[in-house]
Amino acid sequence: MKKTAVRTSALFVAFAFLLSACTQTNSGPAPTTTTNPSPTAGSSNAIPIGIALALTSNVALLGQEGVAGAKIAEKYFNDKGGIDGTPIKLVIQDTGGEEAGAINAFQTLITQSQVVGIVGPTLSQQAFSADPIAERAKVPVLGASNTAKGIPEIGDYVARVSAPVAIVAPNSVKAALKINPNIKKVAVFYAQNDAFSKSETGTFQETVKEQGLDVVTVQKFQTTDTDFQTQATNAINLKPDLIIISGLATDGGNLVRQLRELGYKNIIIGGNGFNTSSIFTVCKALCDGVLVAQAYSPDHVNEINKTFRTTYLNQYKKEPPQFSAQAFAAVQVYVEALQALDKKSEISKLPLAQLRTELNKQLLAGKYDTPLGEIAFTPVGDVIQKDFYVAQLKVDKDGNNGKFAFLK
Amino acid sequence: MAGFLSTYGFLIVSMVMGALLGLSLYLPLMTGQLSLASPGFYALGGYIAAILSTQVFKVSDGLYPIGLVLLEMSIAGVVSGVLGVLVGIPALRLRGIYLAIATIAFVEVLRVLSLNLDITGGAVGIFGIPQPFLTPIEYLWIVIPLLLMSMVLLYRLERIRLGRAFTAIREDELAAGAMGIDPTYYKVLAFTLGAILAGVVGAVSAHFLNTWNARQGTFDASIVYLTSVLIGGTRTFVGPVLGGMVFTALPEVLRAIADTAGLPLWLAQFLRDGRLIIFGLLIVLGTIFFPQGLVTPDLFKRRKDRKSQS
Repeated sequence: MKKTAVRTSALFVAFAFLLSACTQTNSGPAPTTTTNPSPTAGSSNAIPIGIALALTSNVALLGQEGVAGAKIAEKYFNDKGGIDGTPIKLVIQDTGGEEAGAINAFQTLITQSQVVGIVGPTLSQQAFSADPIAERAKVPVLGASNTAKGIPEIGDYVARVSAPVAIVAPNSVKAALKINPNIKKVAVFYAQNDAFSKSETGTFQETVKEQGLDVVTVQKFQTTDTDFQTQATNAINLKPDLIIISGLATDGGNLVRQLRELGYKNIIIGGNGFNTSSIFTVCKALCDGVLVAQAYSPDHVNEINKTFRTTYLNQYKKEPPQFSAQAFAAVQVYVEALQALDKKSEISKLPLAQLRTELNKQLLAGKYDTPLGEIAFTPVGDVIQKDFYVAQLKVDKDGNNGKFAFLK
Repeated sequence: MAGFLSTYGFLIVSMVMGALLGLSLYLPLMTGQLSLASPGFYALGGYIAAILSTQVFKVSDGLYPIGLVLLEMSIAGVVSGVLGVLVGIPALRLRGIYLAIATIAFVEVLRVLSLNLDITGGAVGIFGIPQPFLTPIEYLWIVIPLLLMSMVLLYRLERIRLGRAFTAIREDELAAGAMGIDPTYYKVLAFTLGAILAGVVGAVSAHFLNTWNARQGTFDASIVYLTSVLIGGTRTFVGPVLGGMVFTALPEVLRAIADTAGLPLWLAQFLRDGRLIIFGLLIVLGTIFFPQGLVTPDLFKRRKDRKSQS
């Protein structure tokens, strides 16, 4: 009996340690992982901007790309003097892949870190959950990777720099028609358990119909699937001239591989999930020639993109992905809106609540020349972006080196 | 203090909900049935509240009336209860690991259904669920009474004939049957009570999270709640309540610890990413060293003995 009592109390003590460790950090400065302070960012009056992206869980890859872009933006704008001499400071909180995590991260940023605005969260589903929290607290939110329908409509304080699927996706269908004007029959595949793929496939199917083509079959799969033989054979039997896939990198890549292995020869279009270099490791040489529409091209010709691209190349030894560019653009929008606001009335003197409201107004009114090209916002807060791109995957014969080649 | 409440208000309410879900898993365990169906009923309750509040009771402006939330909760409870009976009767013919597998399958069926139906919004789910309160912490007005009510009911339940019958079945189903207890009836009853509780919590949760989709109440969630019940204690209702609270808070606690300055990088990284490893380890260690969980009736008994001695 005594032994169990000792064991029980030992475990309770362990829990108590965990809990007390929690409160310790809370009573101290806000539990935040600030980035390596750039020369000026160390000062105490830096303006905090919250970054709530997924650094863990199954969407961590996307979130980490976003954080990389945001960090480059922090350094870039602080080196240029920040906001009239005052640097900005990124406060990064991990949202994980779930709704509750996003809400917790937002709460911490709003009340503890006292940020002027937030960039995030990673998933549209998380945005539906966490953005209303910011809306009620009257804190501006800029989505950097939320593309589902209805995000800016959540409230006045919610906007996004990521163009909705409905605008990006059709470009790749048009590009496919340019390559082969004789396309008639189209087969559509989508991952039914992924929110993004589900809305994307809707857009693809509408576009296909608008272009006067026939959707001969719609096949569903799950992002966790690895075997697509049934769906692939069903589709190939109908002899499609074009196959459109909305899925994530791993499942989409495997699907492409199996389609090619089963003898499909015509054009394949991939959705936004293909927009990452990890696709090359999945389907190797077999994903050569797949078309992907993008909201960002590393080749875009403006001054800020050149700087962004070189910085990213130096740091990570690869071309910047779309999510990094979008996070960079989101931070840039905040910085430039703060600068414009500072000209009207000195922001260091504004109370935080008023600063957040004014910043939100200013942000929606401005025009920004970002790595994504020139962007502005509609009154609801959706992004107006000028340029979109279609890339074709180019892979060596041995399947080791892959890159996105942009079509003109 | 106000700052603490507004930062951790959401977490505090989640902890209470975790305790309630722990209880919903504990109810079938009272009869010795390892059922992982609770998250399925939780998801169902959430969908019912989400659909009712966005499509049936439309409130154009201002706060959503609390009366309607309570109505949704009761509807969710009734529907979950009926479905609980329907699923429970065939499923509870299975025992042990087979019942666990069947209930996992049930959760999976609900998930695939919600992905394919139009009314549940597919993978995007339902969003823009109206709010009855201005801040998350105010949800305590709903969840605390709910928790207290369930705890009082369970406290009584463990002491009346019904609870004794549950325990008898848990200890030895054959012997209980021989003593004139109808095992199927009591097993289905315990399962249904758990289903009702999970459905009601789901209905509150949908408002609380602002959105509802097929990622709620999945198999992963079952494991977390199972951990909280197994480690908390399977012999008295206090165990799941404490377990549910601790394990809901654990990820946030690990986040705070990982952010402590001065930790070696690998440890901080492990605390952030290794949450599920830690959960798994706790289940294994807990079942080896504390087969009845941390909080056992012995704890209370001994205190009483000591009191009577002095």
